[in-house]
Amino acid sequence: MSEALGSWFKGFLEQVRIRKRQYLLGALEIVLSALTGFLVAALILYFIGYDPWYIFEIMLTYGFSDLGYLGTRAAPLIMTGLAFSIPLLAGVFNIGGESQLYMGALLGLYVAYVTHNVWLGLIAGFIAGALWGGLIAALRVYRGINEVITAIMLNWTAYYTIIYIILVYLPNPKQSHLSVQIPVSEMISYGETFALAVVGALIAYFILYYTDIGYKIRVSGANPRSAVYAGFSPKTAIMASMLLGGGLAGYGGTLIIAGVTGSIDTTMSTLYGLGFTGIGVGLLGRNHPIGIIFSGLFFAGLIIGGQWVELLTGAPPYVTDTITGIIVIALSMPYAYRLLVNYMGRLGKK
Amino acid sequence: MNALSRTGWAIIIIVIVLIAIGGGYWWYASSQQGGKGATTTTKKPVKVAVLFDVGGRGDLSFNDMAYLGAQRAAKDLGVEVKYLTPKSTSDMIPLLKQLASSKQYKILVLIGFLWTDALNKTADQFPDQKFALIDSTTGVTRPNEVDILFREQEVGALIGVIASGMAYELNGSTIGAVAGMSIPPLWKFHIGYLFGAKYFEMKTNKTVNFLWQYTGTFGDPQKGYQTATQLLQQGAKVLYGLAGLTHIGMFDAVIDWNEKGYGKALAIGEDASQEWYNPKYIPVSGAKRVDVAVYTAIKMAVQGPWKGGIHTLGLKEGGVGIWDLDGVRYFAQIAYNESKTKLTPDQIVNIVKQQREKYIKPYVWNIVHELEQKIKSGQIVFKTPLTEDEYNSIIQQLQQGNLNAALAKGHV
Repeated sequence: MSEALGSWFKGFLEQVRIRKRQYLLGALEIVLSALTGFLVAALILYFIGYDPWYIFEIMLTYGFSDLGYLGTRAAPLIMTGLAFSIPLLAGVFNIGGESQLYMGALLGLYVAYVTHNVWLGLIAGFIAGALWGGLIAALRVYRGINEVITAIMLNWTAYYTIIYIILVYLPNPKQSHLSVQIPVSEMISYGETFALAVVGALIAYFILYYTDIGYKIRVSGANPRSAVYAGFSPKTAIMASMLLGGGLAGYGGTLIIAGVTGSIDTTMSTLYGLGFTGIGVGLLGRNHPIGIIFSGLFFAGLIIGGQWVELLTGAPPYVTDTITGIIVIALSMPYAYRLLVNYMGRLGKK
Repeated sequence: MNALSRTGWAIIIIVIVLIAIGGGYWWYASSQQGGKGATTTTKKPVKVAVLFDVGGRGDLSFNDMAYLGAQRAAKDLGVEVKYLTPKSTSDMIPLLKQLASSKQYKILVLIGFLWTDALNKTADQFPDQKFALIDSTTGVTRPNEVDILFREQEVGALIGVIASGMAYELNGSTIGAVAGMSIPPLWKFHIGYLFGAKYFEMKTNKTVNFLWQYTGTFGDPQKGYQTATQLLQQGAKVLYGLAGLTHIGMFDAVIDWNEKGYGKALAIGEDASQEWYNPKYIPVSGAKRVDVAVYTAIKMAVQGPWKGGIHTLGLKEGGVGIWDLDGVRYFAQIAYNESKTKLTPDQIVNIVKQQREKYIKPYVWNIVHELEQKIKSGQIVFKTPLTEDEYNSIIQQLQQGNLNAALAKGHV
C-alpha cells in the first residue's frame, strides 16, 4: 500500500517537474483573475457606499471559520459541480444537475425513511439521480434532442413532482410544511457529510483518470472524431458521463437530507438553486474533481460569509450576491473562454 | 531560455500580488484598530437579531412587516437590531448555533414556519439564549423559547361581516374564500370567516351563501386564478384571499371579472395591506401583524416579563385586525417605491376611502364594531381546533347556524 502510494507520489512529482510552466501559468491565471474579481467587486462596493475591505474580511473570516458548516454547505455543491463537469468532459452541457439533485433527495429521503438506513438512502439517491440524468442522455443519444432543452424542462417537471409527492404521499403530520423526517438518531454528522462528498469526488477522479470508460469520456469530449477513429462511440461516453454526473448530483441531494435537514420542505428552499450554483463550481474547479472539491469549499464559504455581511453591516443580501457573482465569474472566465473557443473551433471544422 | 524567463516572470508576478494583498490588509487592519479603540468608550446598546424567512425582504408581506416591527423596537426600546437572511433551510441550524454561541444577542427572532424544525433541533443546546418563533410553534414548551401565534378567527370574523355587507351592496348574497392548504392557521381563518357571515345573518336577517375552497398551495397564482373564477361563476360577489402568493391570482381573476364585464365582484386581501394591488377592486384587507409580533417578542426579552411557551395575539393586542388608511398608505408607499404600482400612495388611499364608503355601509360597520368590542373585552373567545376532526365538526355546526359551536367562552 505505502509502496503504491510512494510510487504514485513519485509520479506526481515527475508530472510537476515536466509541467512546471503549465502549472505556474495556471496558478498565475487564478491569482490574476481572483485579483480582478476582487478589484471590480471592491470598486462596486466603494461606489455604492460600503467599505470593501470590511465586507471582504467578513466574507472570508465568517465564511471559513465554522468548518463543519462549511463542509456540509460545500458537500452538495461539490456533487452538482461534478454533475456539470463530468458530462462537459464528454462534450455535453448538463444543466439538469438541479433536477437530478431533487430526484436523488426525494428517493434518498424515502428509502432512508422507510429502512431507517441512511446508507441505503445514499445509494438510492445515486440511482435516482443517475436515472434522471440517463433520461436526458438517452434522449440526446438516441433521439437527437438537445440536452439543454430537455434538462430545463425536466428541472421544472422534477420540481413540481416533488412538491406533489411530498404533499400527497409523504406529509409530516406534525409540521405541515415538511415531508416525513429521517429520525435524528440516524442522521450523519457534518464531518461525515463532507467526507462522503470528498469520497464521491475521489471516486469520480478515479473513474475519469484511471479507467477505460473515463478515458473514453475525456477523449470523446476533447474530440468526438478521434474517438470514432480510435474505435469507440462517443454515445457510450455521453451516456456514461450523464449517468455518473446525474448519480453524483442525486447522491449530493441525499447528503443534504441525511446530514443537515432530515426532510424536504414544501417551498423547496432546502434544495432550490444548488444545481445551478454547481455550474459555477464546476467551471471554477476547472472541470477537475479535485479542483471541484476546493471550488465547492470556496463557493460555500462565500455563500456563508455573505449571510453574515447582512448581519454585521446591514447591506441587503443583493449586495453580497452581486459580489459573490462577480468574483466567481472572474475566476471562471479564462477557463470558460478557452472551453468556448475550443467548442466553436470544433463547430467551424465540421 | 525563453520558457525559463516566462516561468520566472510568473513567479515574480504572483509574489508581488501576494505581497500587495498582504500589505493592503495589514494597512487596513492597523487603521481599523485605532478606530475601534476610540469607540469602546460609548455604552453598548442591547443587541437583538431578526432572522428572516428564506425569501428575505421585499415580499411586501411577512418579512417587510417583521422589519417594520424590529425598526419600531429599535426606536422605542433603544435596542440595536441586526438582520440576517438565510440562503436556504439547510443554513438555518448552523446559523442558529453560531449566533447562539456568540452570546452577542439578547434574543433571536425567527420569522416564519421554515425555522420551526431548525429551532426545535437547537433550542435545547443553548438554554441561555432566548428565541422567538413568529407564526409557528415547535410544539414543545421551553423556558428559553416563545412561539408567537395569531388568533386568526378574530380577524376572519370581522372580515366575514364586512364581506357579507359588501356582497349585498353588489346585489348578491354569496361570499367566498380562496384558501391555501388545510393547516391549523387556515382552519382558524375558516371558522372565523364563517362565524362572521353567520353573525351578519343573525343581526340582519339576510341570508349569506358561503363558499370555501382550498387550493392546496400557497405559491401558485395560476391555481388561485382558476379557483377564483370557479367561485365567481358560482355567484360569489366577494372573495377573501387566504393563500399567500396563490391569492394574487385571485385578485387578477376578480379584476378580469369586472373589466371584462362578466359581473361585479370585490376582493379582500390578508396579512399585509394589499389594497395597493388594485384599490378599486380590493377595498379592504385583513391584518396579521407580524410587526406587532416581532415587537412584542423583543419587548419581552428586553423589558420582560419573559415566559417561555406559546403566546397568542388577537384584536386586543393589535396582532390582527383590519388595516386602517395609515396602514394602506404605508404599504402603498413601499409598493410605489419598488415600482410595483403606478398609483401614488395618495391616489391609492383616496380610491380605497371612496370604495370603502361605497361598499361598506354604516350598518355593517356598526355590526363590526359591536363584534370587535365583544372579542376585545373577552366576552367571547373562539375555539382553536387541535385536530382536523374537531375543525370539521365546528364548521358543520356553524353551517347549521349554531354560532356558539365556534366559541370556547361566551355566547351570542
